[in-house]
Amino acid sequence: MRLSHALVSFMIAAVIGIAPRGVAAGDDDLVFDIRAQDGHFEPSELTVPANRAFTIRVTSAEKTAIEFESFELHRERVVQPGETITVLIPALTAGSYKFFDDFHRDTPEGAIVVKSSP
Amino acid sequence: MSVLATLFVAIQFARAERTNPPVHGRLVAPPEVEDPIRRACFDCHSNETRWPWYTGVAPFSWVATHDVSAGRQRLNFSDWTEYASDPETKNHKLEEIVQSIARGDMAPWYYRALHAEARLRHDERDLIARWAHQEANDAVPDGNSGRVH
Repeated sequence: MRLSHALVSFMIAAVIGIAPRGVAAGDDDLVFDIRAQDGHFEPSELTVPANRAFTIRVTSAEKTAIEFESFELHRERVVQPGETITVLIPALTAGSYKFFDDFHRDTPEGAIVVKSSP
Repeated sequence: MSVLATLFVAIQFARAERTNPPVHGRLVAPPEVEDPIRRACFDCHSNETRWPWYTGVAPFSWVATHDVSAGRQRLNFSDWTEYASDPETKNHKLEEIVQSIARGDMAPWYYRALHAEARLRHDERDLIARWAHQEANDAVPDGNSGRVH
């Protein structure tokens, strides 16, 4: 009986101890989707809350690879056709953070708009 | 001749701002890796730019400030921890460093012409490439996504 208690305690401790490390920057309950298709991002503007880490899932329906990039966010990721990637974003202060497709600079830029709670 | 001199004086009024913003989370690497990166890359790819006197003289000042601004946008070693907070972005940057060094297109020829210390030796290139491989594998625990070739 004592052994099973110890085992359960160990398992709970392991889960609690390991889980946060899996989401270094992004918050796994705050996920936003962006789709690259026909030469534009959809949506082209995301509104997210300030001071909370989050994750962006970027899916590409383009025929060639795209590069999801943002100088302000310090992110640069290649997305192959049909692929979905997850981009971890730390908590941000209020403001607008542009992103673009560096492989296709004619694709209109998008923006992540970070807003403080009223 | 006097027209050229007048023009030269006139363009000095179009000031290019030479800035070194605060360093938030710079690259930390073993000295044998960090030293050559600092020597060859930091002037354009960090917030610790050395601004020699001629970068205050137009038109050289325009070229220098443009190159530093563009370089910092693409890769800024002073913001390394920002890249590292998304391990795949960090891997991508490492991959670009390795490719750029292998191609020999960094630093630009005109920069190397003025800065002999920016020319990386073969052993330094090898050290940086090996470090980048190791860093990429450390960044992604399963080792499958660290695509530094």
